[in-house]
Amino acid sequence: MSAVPAPGARGWAGKTLLLARKDLVIEVRGRDTLPPMLVFSLAVTLLLAFTLPDTSRPSARVVLPVGTASVADVLAGFLWVTVLFAGLVGFARSFEVERHEGAIDALLLVPLDRSGLYLAKAMTNLAFIVAVELFLFPVFAVLFPIGLGAGVVAVVVLVDVGFVAIGTLFAALAAQTRSRELMLPVLAFPVLVPVFIAAVELTSDLFLGRPTGVVVGAGWFGILVAFDLIYAVVGALAFEYVIE
Amino acid sequence: MIAIEGVRVTYRRTVALHSIDLLLLPGVTGLFGPNGSGKSTLLRVLAGLLRPGGGTVTWDGVPITAADEAFRARVGYAGHGSGLYDRLSVRENLELFGALHGVGAARVEEMLELVGLRDRGGLPAGELSAGLKRRAAVARALLHEPQLLLLDEPYANLDDDGAGKVSDAIKAWRAPGRVGLVATHGARRVKGYADGSIILQHGRIISYRVRTPAEAPT
Repeated sequence: MSAVPAPGARGWAGKTLLLARKDLVIEVRGRDTLPPMLVFSLAVTLLLAFTLPDTSRPSARVVLPVGTASVADVLAGFLWVTVLFAGLVGFARSFEVERHEGAIDALLLVPLDRSGLYLAKAMTNLAFIVAVELFLFPVFAVLFPIGLGAGVVAVVVLVDVGFVAIGTLFAALAAQTRSRELMLPVLAFPVLVPVFIAAVELTSDLFLGRPTGVVVGAGWFGILVAFDLIYAVVGALAFEYVIE
Repeated sequence: MIAIEGVRVTYRRTVALHSIDLLLLPGVTGLFGPNGSGKSTLLRVLAGLLRPGGGTVTWDGVPITAADEAFRARVGYAGHGSGLYDRLSVRENLELFGALHGVGAARVEEMLELVGLRDRGGLPAGELSAGLKRRAAVARALLHEPQLLLLDEPYANLDDDGAGKVSDAIKAWRAPGRVGLVATHGARRVKGYADGSIILQHGRIISYRVRTPAEAPT
């Protein structure tokens, strides 16, 4: 896999794709980011499989220190917490390749709008998250009685957009601090809470077997769409100031 | 022509540049001074990578800022780091930045040849010695034939052969109207071809000298 497929003049989209491709080539060669994300996901899932009591009925109630919840609620919660933490592990590393040897300076001086830099990095982060989900969700479906229908896929797509949009922005911000791996969760968690609450609520309903049409029509779906739009716009606009 | 007026940069309580005034003329100017004198800071300000706390920097009357895409297309900068990706080969690094600057493969090969890295073009940049990385960094900065060239210690870790190749590459880049500023401790290497020299000390310019026609460099 070559980092630069073919030389020649490129526009905004071409340069953006080139930068995203560069990140993926570097990951394929170095395997620095994705393996830790996958190992983390697998470890949490296996731990959950051995910890939870009978999960054969998603509607069964589980007693928690703060009340009771259905098995579907617990599974949805753990599923998205795993995605959240695995994602942050990856995002925290996403600007490492630019910091090393001062490549970020060279990158900031290429004639490409900052939105291109942002989108390229967001596309790479999205690829990592999708790879984790393609691994995690089937493992979850094997270990627990959950269905992965079109509704779950729709929720995953919406969560990924919001998560990557704001995660990439905060990763750029955290990359400029000394304790970036600690700073990223501190910065991103409060902002990501609405997206992941919506994701848990929607996924839990789908795991309980509620019709996709009913779930999509519920308020949480609209909230997720609204936050995606806000985060995508804020991410693209604020990136320029953050990266400089 | 680049005009620097009252540029002041502070890092917390340390003043890196004290209200610098300077008129940078076309040609290559050597920037000399001891460690901590403000050379790198001045280069970063001129590249638009560092916003000064006060003063202005203009290029032919237009304020310099890295936010300006047209400016970025005309500046070549190599800082302390090589600016290369370790897991890409030297050639892939140059092809990447070439493509981002709209430069073709032929120019990449030309630059590899010029800095003596053609044989090592296929090696991952991370496997190069510090000196070879320096050469590759200079090649990256010169790749798109910038109008403004800013090099921070381009001779660091270089042997005489490598230093000669870097000097040749800079001389080949020199053309009417182009402005170059080369910061280095090794004044000897730059003085052979520089059109002028600046000496910085404690963030202040203590000497700025432009060669007379009689002293024209080779």
